Amino acid sequence: MSEVLTRADCSTILVWDRGVRIFHWGLVAGIVVCGWTGFIAPRNWLNLHLAAGAAVTALVCFRLIWGSTGSTYARFRSFSPSLAAVRAHLAAIAAGRPQHHIGHNPAGALMIYGLLGLLVLLILTGVIALGGALKQGPLAFAVPFAVGWPAREVHEWLAWGLLLLIAGHLCGVVLETLVTRENIVRAMLTGRKRASPAACGNPAKAHPVLAATAFVAGAAGIAAGTIWLSDRPAAGVPGEKLDAAYARECGACHFAFPPSLASAQTWAAVMASLDNHFGENANLDPTQMARMLAWLTANSAERFDTLPANLFRQADPAEPRRITATPAWQRIHRAIPDSVFGSKQVGARGACEACHRDAASGRFDPQSISLPKELR
Amino acid sequence: MTIRTLLAVSAFLAATPALAGSAQHAVLARYAAEAKTADPGFTGFSAERGKALFHAKFATGKPDTPSCTTCHTENPKQEGRTRAGKIVPPLALSVKADRYSDFAETEKWFGRNCDSVIGRTCTPVEKGDFISYMITQ
Repeated sequence: MSEVLTRADCSTILVWDRGVRIFHWGLVAGIVVCGWTGFIAPRNWLNLHLAAGAAVTALVCFRLIWGSTGSTYARFRSFSPSLAAVRAHLAAIAAGRPQHHIGHNPAGALMIYGLLGLLVLLILTGVIALGGALKQGPLAFAVPFAVGWPAREVHEWLAWGLLLLIAGHLCGVVLETLVTRENIVRAMLTGRKRASPAACGNPAKAHPVLAATAFVAGAAGIAAGTIWLSDRPAAGVPGEKLDAAYARECGACHFAFPPSLASAQTWAAVMASLDNHFGENANLDPTQMARMLAWLTANSAERFDTLPANLFRQADPAEPRRITATPAWQRIHRAIPDSVFGSKQVGARGACEACHRDAASGRFDPQSISLPKELR
Repeated sequence: MTIRTLLAVSAFLAATPALAGSAQHAVLARYAAEAKTADPGFTGFSAERGKALFHAKFATGKPDTPSCTTCHTENPKQEGRTRAGKIVPPLALSVKADRYSDFAETEKWFGRNCDSVIGRTCTPVEKGDFISYMITQ
């Protein structure tokens, strides 16, 4: 399709240039994937969520650049936000004298800034949550769980807000189509809208080379920074391997729980009751036991900042020794039927490593969750 | 040593040499010495008694583990499974050759499991019988 405007044909003009159209539909796809992987898909699809989030980030960066390098109606200058203009616009519709806008109408303009602003906040809270709660990504070295966990909550509320804005945007599209009798969905596909002769002047030309240069430079900078920061060791993540005696003695009967999964108080209670260890005698010789308890205490949940260390620190008062009885464990695993834990492949609630491939590290990344084949 | 004991011991050794190595015999010898100290009339271990012990159900131990077979299954050549879901290698020497070769390790597990299953420590005779059974398996 030619994007060259000629004075000979001014009944329709190119309003949404290729950059705007690619941005718009790319964003639709990106947000659909983000929403699906964030709200509906299982947790171990997180990498797809992150990839879609990265794509949305790239699109938003591009749009911000295109706002000053694109053609006339792509430019922020052409649709300044104004509440007064929105009021006038709505009043004109109410009065039955709707104005025809070639680019964004005043309400649409406000919506674009709202959407872009919300997307920027979603990206920021997403990266903060990823770093603080999951100890992944560029901020894993810096953000504590105490910040990352609430950021995850905010991220989710912002996502609901985005869905709300999108619903509003769709209502606006329907309303505009009804009021102006112009198929503006098609306009976002072809780029062309009906025009008055007055609009047939000299449009501002796009500067795709300039935009591409700025975009590539910006993207390279952000990517390099992300990689550089992500390379730093995550804060509060256990790095040490399990104590050999602990791994051997405790691991003989059950998954050798990384000590960061329970509080020092829990470990003390466990080690003080080995003669009745969850219904069995698991005695150790006293020297070995004292040494092991010291190691457990030095590496208990209080010493680390991972998600399990933070959440499982709070024991169940009725069963203070059992990690799988903690309120957080129960909440996280509530949707998993007993038949899974009782299955041949898993065997028990405490068999973390049956589904969490990184259980031994104490990280418990969502991406490392993989139910045994037979149970999927 | 009477002819009878000698015959019993040689019959026992004849039945097991392919399976039990010197390490297992050394462990058995220690239990035999303990048994002799406790009861001078001790005449030898019995694989039959060991088998009966392995399959017996007790009401005196911890309620979740009434028998050896709770975790080790009825067939000692099979893998067992702890209540926490971990696989336990078979007890039969024919399947796991390094069983009962380390006295301290053997004592540790008898110490834990006799208490869990029976609710008391096992006697040297019980331990020797148990191992005698497992090295025939």
